[in-house]
Amino acid sequence: MRSIKYLIISIIFLLAGSCISPFIPEINETQEMLVVEGLITDQPGINVVMLSRSVPLNKENTSNPLKGCTVTINDDAGNTFALSEISAGTYVTDSSEFKGVIGRKYQLKIKINDSSSPNKNYESELIEMKPVPPIDSLYYEKVTLKQREDLTPVMQGCQVFLSTHDQSEMCKYYRWDYKETWQFQLPYYVHNDICWISNNSSEINIKTTTSLSENRIEQFPIIFISNKTDRLNKKYSLLVHQYSMNEDEYDYWSKLQSISDETGSLYDITPSSIIGNIYCIDDPGEQVLGYFSVSAKTSKRIFIKDYFAGLPDLYLKCATDTVFNNDTIPGLNQTIWILMSFDYSMPPYKVLTTKKGCADCTARGSKIKPVFWEDD
Amino acid sequence: MKFRILLLVLILFLSDNLIAQDTLKITWDYQNLSFKEFVKKAEDVYKIRIFYKEEWVNELKPSDIKDVKSVPEFFDKLFKDVSLYYFIDDAGNIIITKDFVVKASDKPSDEGDKYIPPTDYYESREKQEVTGNVFIDIGNPADKNKSGTVTISGYVTNRDTREPVAGVTVFNQRLSAGTITNEFGYYSLIMPRGSWLLQFSFIGMKEKQINLNLYGNGEMNVEMNNMLIPLKETVVSAQKNIMLQRFETGVEKINITSFKLLPTSMGESDVIKSFLLMPGIQSIGEGSVGFNVRGGSSDQNLVLLYGAPIYNSSHFFGFFSAINSDIIKDVTMYKGGIPVRYGGRISSVLDIGTTEGDRKEFTGNAGISPVTTHLLIEGPVKKDTCTFILTGRTTYSNWVFGLINNPMLKKSKASFYDVNGKITYDINKKNKIDLSAYLSHDAFRFYSDTVYSYGNTIFSLKWRHFFNSRFFSVLLLNNSNYKYEVSAQGSVNEGFTLSHRINSSGLKADFNWYQGRNEVNYGLDLTRYAVMPGSYLPKGDSSLVLAKTIDKERALEGALYFEDKFILTDYLSVNAGLRFSSFFAIGPNTVLKYDPGSSKRNSTITDTTQFNSFYKGYAGPEFRISLNLKTSPRSSFKLNYNRTRQYIHLLSNTTSISPTDTWKLCDYYLKPQVGDQYAAGFYQMLYRNSIEASAEIYFKTIKNMVDFKRGTNLIMAENIEQDLVNVKGKAYGIELMVRKTEGRVRWSVGYTYARTFIRSIGKFSDEIINRGEWFPANFDKPHDLTATFNYLFSRRFSFSANYTYSTGRPITYPIASYHLDNMVLTHYSDRNKYRIPDYMRLDISLKISGNLKSRKIAHPHWIFSVYNLLGRQNVYSVYFRNENNQIKGYKLSVFGKAIPSLSFNFDF
Repeated sequence: MRSIKYLIISIIFLLAGSCISPFIPEINETQEMLVVEGLITDQPGINVVMLSRSVPLNKENTSNPLKGCTVTINDDAGNTFALSEISAGTYVTDSSEFKGVIGRKYQLKIKINDSSSPNKNYESELIEMKPVPPIDSLYYEKVTLKQREDLTPVMQGCQVFLSTHDQSEMCKYYRWDYKETWQFQLPYYVHNDICWISNNSSEINIKTTTSLSENRIEQFPIIFISNKTDRLNKKYSLLVHQYSMNEDEYDYWSKLQSISDETGSLYDITPSSIIGNIYCIDDPGEQVLGYFSVSAKTSKRIFIKDYFAGLPDLYLKCATDTVFNNDTIPGLNQTIWILMSFDYSMPPYKVLTTKKGCADCTARGSKIKPVFWEDD
Repeated sequence: MKFRILLLVLILFLSDNLIAQDTLKITWDYQNLSFKEFVKKAEDVYKIRIFYKEEWVNELKPSDIKDVKSVPEFFDKLFKDVSLYYFIDDAGNIIITKDFVVKASDKPSDEGDKYIPPTDYYESREKQEVTGNVFIDIGNPADKNKSGTVTISGYVTNRDTREPVAGVTVFNQRLSAGTITNEFGYYSLIMPRGSWLLQFSFIGMKEKQINLNLYGNGEMNVEMNNMLIPLKETVVSAQKNIMLQRFETGVEKINITSFKLLPTSMGESDVIKSFLLMPGIQSIGEGSVGFNVRGGSSDQNLVLLYGAPIYNSSHFFGFFSAINSDIIKDVTMYKGGIPVRYGGRISSVLDIGTTEGDRKEFTGNAGISPVTTHLLIEGPVKKDTCTFILTGRTTYSNWVFGLINNPMLKKSKASFYDVNGKITYDINKKNKIDLSAYLSHDAFRFYSDTVYSYGNTIFSLKWRHFFNSRFFSVLLLNNSNYKYEVSAQGSVNEGFTLSHRINSSGLKADFNWYQGRNEVNYGLDLTRYAVMPGSYLPKGDSSLVLAKTIDKERALEGALYFEDKFILTDYLSVNAGLRFSSFFAIGPNTVLKYDPGSSKRNSTITDTTQFNSFYKGYAGPEFRISLNLKTSPRSSFKLNYNRTRQYIHLLSNTTSISPTDTWKLCDYYLKPQVGDQYAAGFYQMLYRNSIEASAEIYFKTIKNMVDFKRGTNLIMAENIEQDLVNVKGKAYGIELMVRKTEGRVRWSVGYTYARTFIRSIGKFSDEIINRGEWFPANFDKPHDLTATFNYLFSRRFSFSANYTYSTGRPITYPIASYHLDNMVLTHYSDRNKYRIPDYMRLDISLKISGNLKSRKIAHPHWIFSVYNLLGRQNVYSVYFRNENNQIKGYKLSVFGKAIPSLSFNFDF
């Protein structure tokens, strides 16, 4: 459908020299809304609830954590678990005390102790934790992409797929997120040459099997790894988490997905806010953003080490400079790093210098090898 | 042809001295002849023609007449006790008339300086010096001294084409009494006995004035002549009286001649866009398909071509109207006061009257503009009885894409065409048949693999039957089909074809009966619908797309209607009507039942029922009442109430109609839309009737409109009831208009203040918009000002301009951003809380006609126009993008600068 949208825009451009120019609307709403991002699972470990406030449109969009709230989780067996704030706006359960149980219902309660809205109380509905089947398989395919515009240049990426099924028919709505980790290496013999980078998913991956005859998901595309980054250069690992959901939560994510599509055509869908499952008790009209998810969770990891065509060398453009021994090096170890020193006994000494990103992999990643990492 | 004569013809050039009566001596024995034989004999002997209608003379007995010497004397005696009269012209031809007398007189008309001799410049230029004056007697002169009122009725036909002329104003200034001819050219008027001047006027035709001596009830048929020179005509002289005479409020009529005086957009005359200059009719913005009438959404307009509904009336996604202006005779827009013969949409009816082919000779025209080229040919198949007209229009703008230095667009293609054809056949005087067809097609190819196409087809058969001069019927059979299709190859086995189709077949039987002070209209209207909501099929052998088709919908809509327009007193007339409409949804269909205690969604389904035949019905009466109170000879006051029901919805969750919107019939859950409109209007003619002023106010409520739950995707949506929200609407407004429609300088100024609000009435949280409060509709534009100006320099040059200003439409703005799951998301304000900047546009055009010599083979016309002369960047849409963690606003202007165009047309 998107292509239709673009088509129409292009035609209009053509026809009449239509134009797009910056526009600052006059909006006088400065209201800051509560944003809740909470997830509890049946897995051991801590569960995190993050609280923040929305940022009015005309201000710079940085995260705006909400400190000092009282956050608790109740279950339908009458237990109450308090969460503690470990950093600004991040509240966690006590891993020794709390672990989600499939079939039990949970409710989130929040009390804001902030001076701006003192003693306001918020809560979610009671949500049942539904079971989730394990991920059957994670696998990848090399994908040759043609440029859509002119069907020329070829690049090769990697598409990761997932398959799962649930014979018990208990889980009909699935959500996935992932954490990707990859190893990279600098093209110089420096001390910090091999590092790892991790990155969390930032898109919505959901699927329901309600319209399928069988509760089975085949070949669900989880992530496409483009070869424009260096993720595939050495070795790549993807950890996918699979969550169970109820229909309400599925609706929430699917609507969020549909409106986060870019607007700006002749045929914009009338936008609207997507409201989750948290309500203000003291002011029922107040809108609360975000969602409190109660999900069972299973995980699976895949490693990818393969040949892909057209992989980039991000360090190709690292500028080096040769400095002789008598010259001082301004900004040494701050902006300039020594790549190599030619340790002759006789002067002049010669060093190759470059910027930190090129000489020290910790500028992008971490030198600490992740515990799950499998060496070849 | 059974008739020896044309019905009753009035226009004659009279000399003072008729052929001496004594020259028509009877030199033969007539005692044993029938009337017919007598006439034949007289014609043979004197080489003259005698015109009469057989049915008048069958009863006459010439054998009873004794001792007459001349033909006139014979007729005098023969016609003594029957209301037949005769008239002898210069050449001695004898015309027999029934119910009225034709005679010559030197007396000036009682209308003094307003008198214009009824000469016919077109046919006989040499006789312009005629000084005579025609008086027509209607009824028996013996009733001269009686008082009271009588009814005069008859048909108005176009002298050249022999077509009936609808919409002719029949008017008497002194009495301020008048009427308008109907679709058959029939009029019926009640007047007091006495001598009156009756004017017959219609746009594009020469005004005709007839002096009447009205003694009793009678018939008078009138032929009118086309204007020879289009630019010199008194274009709107007919309209001024219409405004006072129509029963309904909120009716706008545009004739093709006045419509062609308006500036064009990109060289194309566009009938729908010209209605946007009228008060109460608006659109979302440039390039939007629909229009909004008095707070109605754009699917609430019934656009009728050849009596059949058009489901998508635009080309090029709304930039051009899909109706070729070449075929238009006149267009009537009912904003309110919708007659009972129309139904099925609640806000308005746009009825496009189309032309018939020329009955005498082959003619045509052709033209070229920056966007299209068009051709029309017309002519007789059989002279005077059977004609055809064929028009076609197509874009030739594909080459433009080739010029653009952009690989994305190089392989793009855009094209559209439309074809109209009509055959008219007069079987005899009582039966006429029209067969019409319409075809439109649009196709766009984007890059090289995505193709979007849509098209309409319409077939229509119309049979007009005249039972007698006061009772006629129209039987209409039609089929209308609309379909769109999107297909794409995609990169990896994703080839698909998405399509949607609606097909409707209609049968309509309509009867008109004129009886004294009553004008009765009744009939039956049946429509059968078949809708394919959507199908999504793999395209190509390698496609892995799973085929999916949403169940077809079928339904039957039926209505019976009755309406009577009656004149209570000279000052008050009433039009009361009832339309009873019904709708039946027909299976096979699967209906899901939901838990009534919660919102409809998959998890609340409680049962599934399969229906194989009729499964849900809706029915209800629609009352339509109008009162017309003549407050003075030059002003009138009207009141109107209207109920309308609509059983079809256009599902659109975008601000304007988008190319992938689909039609949906009412079903188990989706209820019919019901509209109620209350309107009042005051109309006044000023400055010797050269300026007309009107003010109308209205209040309207609409039930059962649809809106959508948040974030719904409508494309290929199954179980659509889960996504719909029931909303109701209310609208009110005042429309003011002043216009001068005569002379070299013509202008109009219209101002509308109108509001439209919507309110959700759902029970569950996802069915509630803006907390269930009233909020402005997408097309709520409170202030709307339009002005037009025409200056006719000469017959060959004319200049026109129009100006539009309106409040910006409502929009939902983002008001905050937040972080969730590593995403930056946007939070929006209440629906339609803000407005985009105001809209303003000025267009101009200059028309130059070539040499007007009638003998020239082709008459060329040039039209130069500039759309959006001020180059104002009117905002169509405002949207936002997240850039570097900050949400940036952008505005999209469809036309960012002035757009000049030049088009060339010629008639041949």
